[in-house]
Amino acid sequence: MTNPFSERILLTLGIFFAVLGSLFPFLWFVLTSLKSQIQVEAIPPTWWPDGSVEFYCSALIDHDLFNYIWNSLIVASATTVIALVIATPAAYALARIRLQGKVWVFGGLLCVAMFPQIVIAGPVWQILERIGGLNTHWGLVLPYVTLTLPLAVWILATFFQELPLELEEAAQIDGCTAWQALYKVMLPLAAPGLFTAAILTFIYAWNEFFFALLILTDPVKQTLPVGIALFQGEFTMPWGEIAAASVIATLPLIVLVLLFQRGIISGLSAGAVKG
Amino acid sequence: MAGFALQGIEKTFGHTKVLQDISLEASDGEFVVLLGPSGCGKSTLLRIIAGLEAQTSGTVNIGDQVVDTLSPRDRDIAMVFQQYALYPHLTVRENLAFGLKMRKESPNVIEERIGEAAELLEIQNLLDRKPKELSGGQRQRVAIGRAIVRKPKLFLFDEPLSNLDARLRTSMRVELKKLHKRLGVTMVYVTHDQVEAMTLGEKIVVMDQGSIQQIGTPDQTYHQPSNPFVAGFIGNPPMNLIEGSLQTNLKNLEFRAGDFTLRLNAQVEVTPTPGSGSAILGIRPEDVGLDPPGAIHIALSCTIDVIENLGGDHVVYLLTQGQRLVARTTPNTIEKAGDSVTIYLPINKLHLFIHDSRVSLDIVN
Repeated sequence: MTNPFSERILLTLGIFFAVLGSLFPFLWFVLTSLKSQIQVEAIPPTWWPDGSVEFYCSALIDHDLFNYIWNSLIVASATTVIALVIATPAAYALARIRLQGKVWVFGGLLCVAMFPQIVIAGPVWQILERIGGLNTHWGLVLPYVTLTLPLAVWILATFFQELPLELEEAAQIDGCTAWQALYKVMLPLAAPGLFTAAILTFIYAWNEFFFALLILTDPVKQTLPVGIALFQGEFTMPWGEIAAASVIATLPLIVLVLLFQRGIISGLSAGAVKG
Repeated sequence: MAGFALQGIEKTFGHTKVLQDISLEASDGEFVVLLGPSGCGKSTLLRIIAGLEAQTSGTVNIGDQVVDTLSPRDRDIAMVFQQYALYPHLTVRENLAFGLKMRKESPNVIEERIGEAAELLEIQNLLDRKPKELSGGQRQRVAIGRAIVRKPKLFLFDEPLSNLDARLRTSMRVELKKLHKRLGVTMVYVTHDQVEAMTLGEKIVVMDQGSIQQIGTPDQTYHQPSNPFVAGFIGNPPMNLIEGSLQTNLKNLEFRAGDFTLRLNAQVEVTPTPGSGSAILGIRPEDVGLDPPGAIHIALSCTIDVIENLGGDHVVYLLTQGQRLVARTTPNTIEKAGDSVTIYLPINKLHLFIHDSRVSLDIVN
């Protein structure tokens, strides 16, 4: 016979260690960012920082972190907006149109999403060079949109498929064109899907390193991950600044997820049809 | 307000023909019920009238306008769906206002129409709620309200009561009937429930396998079904239908099905005069009597197989000469299962179908 009490304790402990394990690297960075230079280099390492903000100042001012934040913000926002604007009608069409071989389209989308980046790096670089997209933000947004579209379309199409067709037909009879039915009725109901797709796209573009490194060589244009990676000089390894910058880079994502998690939690379409 | 007309509507999905040669007319203010088993094409037909589905060939007229090329929004119709299809992100008031706003009605008109509809359907106190906070019956009222406020030419109902429980269904049925009387608009109502069809419809269109089997008033479809399908579909318990053959023997007609034989004597005239061949004989359970009726009749001896007590009446399952017959009788019959009884089939209540269509049986004096 199982004891519900000991079972609960085991479960709680399990969760605690799982969360601690995944959070530990980040926690270590937070702690490091608040240490002083002497503490960072101390052997054996010290656990508790003395709460110095010198690395934050240094990262923001000496390493011009604001510039990277701004660049990342532009690239990630542009990627998110463009990807969603394209993905929404595409997903809607895929979800609604009676199409032979729809399974293959969805399968193809998933395949594209799983392409290793290195495979397309060469062609992407060549294309961008030819059209003058190297060292520009739009040159980075372009491959980002391409790479995030499959996932966004997939998520949205799944959402649209779950919404009852009758709602859309009711809207059409009530006087909507197909577009009006989409943005007045279907989109508000697909909001959780939109949030999910938007956040995933944003996080991808915000964190992406490989293409950013490849395409942006001008420090003025570089995004956060590349900028932070290049903190490292030939003879120096500024751990403290890197830790501080990483914490700053992660904060917007945490805020974003906390802010929209209510939107992501679905249940909005309850009551549309017999429950 | 307007009537509508369908001419030669056909619909195919791929290689499947779901509707064939549907022609139908309804005058202004008529309550038309499309009745048939599931998969008979009745909902597809309704969707073609609405413009949600395009017909493969044929024309749809609403009022005196051909609407074939018009999108649903331009057909001036309203539709109530089986699953209500209320907009879940809008309140009841916003749901009712939605169609009017799309048609750019002034706020005053919108407010006034919502007020009228809410009063009529007694949903005034629900106006600020979201659909998920409503019960099934309330949702259905709002769905009907959303149709009413628009004041359309044509109301379309797609099995609107099938999601409600039996009691609510009965009361909503009565309300719909009153509503039709009050609004006086043309309504097209799809259902597979023959009770709904009989009680609501002024014109019943019985459909099966994509084609119309009979168009008629409830009385016509019940008392003069034009073929065995209609005869078997309308009425509960369904009409007794016996497949057999007809044989002319001098002036006498004989209907035979295995051991079962019915002699229709010279008093009966069948028009058109049939030759010998296969035929189906039908009689409604309530016309099968356990007491001799006044009218000319045929008597048969049977054994009672099972008696179902429905409270108000009894359904008696009988066996006679290898055939099963169902009778619906008053509950004061004292017989019980296993008893031998004589049953009486009034000639004027018999239905005879030859080659799937009705022939009339007349009694000549």
